[in-house]
Amino acid sequence: MQQPVKKRRRSVSFLYAALPYIIIIAVLLAWELLVRLNGIQPIYLPAPSSIFRYLVAMLLDGSLLYNLGITFMRILGGFIVASVCGILVGVLMGMSELAARIIDPWIAALYPLPKISLIPLLIIWLGTGESYKIVISAVTAFFPVAISTFAAIRQVDSGLIKAAKDLGASSHQRQIKVVIPASIPGIFSGLHLGMGVTIIMVVAAEMIGGSSDSGMGYLLVHSGQVMETEKVFAALIALAVFGALITNAQKRLDRLLAPWADTKH
Amino acid sequence: MEIVVENLVQAFGEAPNTILALDRVSHRFPAERVSCILGPSGCGKSTMVQIIGGIEPWTDGEVTIADSDGATLPLGSQSVMVWQNLNLFPWRTVIDNVAFGLEMRGAARKERNERASAMIASVGLRGFEQHRPMQLSGGMRQRVALARALIMERPILLMDEPFAALDAQTKIVMQEDLIRIYERSKKTILFVTHAIDEAILLGDEIVVMTARPGRIKDVIAVNLPRPRTQEMVSTPEFGRLYDRVLHLIREEVLRAMREQEQAAS
Repeated sequence: MQQPVKKRRRSVSFLYAALPYIIIIAVLLAWELLVRLNGIQPIYLPAPSSIFRYLVAMLLDGSLLYNLGITFMRILGGFIVASVCGILVGVLMGMSELAARIIDPWIAALYPLPKISLIPLLIIWLGTGESYKIVISAVTAFFPVAISTFAAIRQVDSGLIKAAKDLGASSHQRQIKVVIPASIPGIFSGLHLGMGVTIIMVVAAEMIGGSSDSGMGYLLVHSGQVMETEKVFAALIALAVFGALITNAQKRLDRLLAPWADTKH
Repeated sequence: MEIVVENLVQAFGEAPNTILALDRVSHRFPAERVSCILGPSGCGKSTMVQIIGGIEPWTDGEVTIADSDGATLPLGSQSVMVWQNLNLFPWRTVIDNVAFGLEMRGAARKERNERASAMIASVGLRGFEQHRPMQLSGGMRQRVALARALIMERPILLMDEPFAALDAQTKIVMQEDLIRIYERSKKTILFVTHAIDEAILLGDEIVVMTARPGRIKDVIAVNLPRPRTQEMVSTPEFGRLYDRVLHLIREEVLRAMREQEQAAS
């Protein structure tokens, strides 16, 4: 899409583009002033400048990247398990009426259950090691992936299937050459939902019951317990940036793998 | 290839709430001629063409396709469809869309690419082989759909309001293309439309259908000389045919509107 050329009002459009950043800086400045002028204790609300100092220190001593890396590996593990299982089950349900009839009641019953309530049970079965964190996040992410895949396959434009039939595609060819590719955008949006809950569940699992001595969830809980509020804020900022990076990378991957799908997430 | 439809009935829905789309339609579509099927929207003209193409099952009646020796051939084996909304595969490039039918038949990649390239060139899209449908204009997409159908080399071409969504100028060009294709290949063409001038310009006969339930109201022979040209639109003969068809269609549209008003009150 080409933007129309604007010649005169460059200064106005620059202001327009810069406005969100100006507002961010203004909020940070107001925060800094609020803390300094009122002498608020850093335990309750540290100033942005001191959060930034902690953030730099944590980056330099490697603790931030170490914990982020560990969390990232767990997220990746949970996400891959959930994606593979979710897509397989969703495709199976979409392609076979019988499979849909058998599996659907299970999904209907288990999907609304808050997966976080499975944590005590999983800790009993699996302990508090890596497998527990991957299983809890994978179980949570499985549902949106499976449901989106199933829905995507069911909602494939029947016109495309008819056209393929008219052009001589057998029913097997219609499934492989039309139904699967046509549902890829829907499957991708399921993977986006799945990634979102995987991040949440891994960090939550890391926070619970001293189950861990690494990861961003651990860093948050530990810093909170020793009242290092600056570290808590620094960890939150790192997590927010990290989440945005993952989502962004996923979108780029979508565009690379399915350039025809004008995905609007 | 001659298409014979006898007492064709198509009813949708469960009894007693069935909606009659086609009511005992009988007609012999002559071989190697262009038959335009004209009628108010909802008259079942698309349904009839899809039944003839072997895409939709039907409720009652006979549909037969016979070659010049009178031998009956299975529905769908001799025809190919050009759809109103084109039904191009958005994930496939132009060349892969056009080659779809050959691919389903098991043709080797080299062979199908050669034939598809030649077909793409013949519809004037050389250089666009690697584009995807969404990167093309409406008229270009229309040509891809036409190429995808023509490559099947079927003696019957079924066209369901193929030019309805095009702008007036593009439509004229596409009509001229179709006239050329007909003159070259002498296929049996069924062309569904709701535009009277298009039906006269393209057709050897115009099958005028009634509003729902669809019946054949009248069949009008068009004896304009071939090859047809856009200039014929301004001849007195064209004008006479136009008036006659317009009269028939107006009657039907008014009747349909009256019935809708009665049903609403």
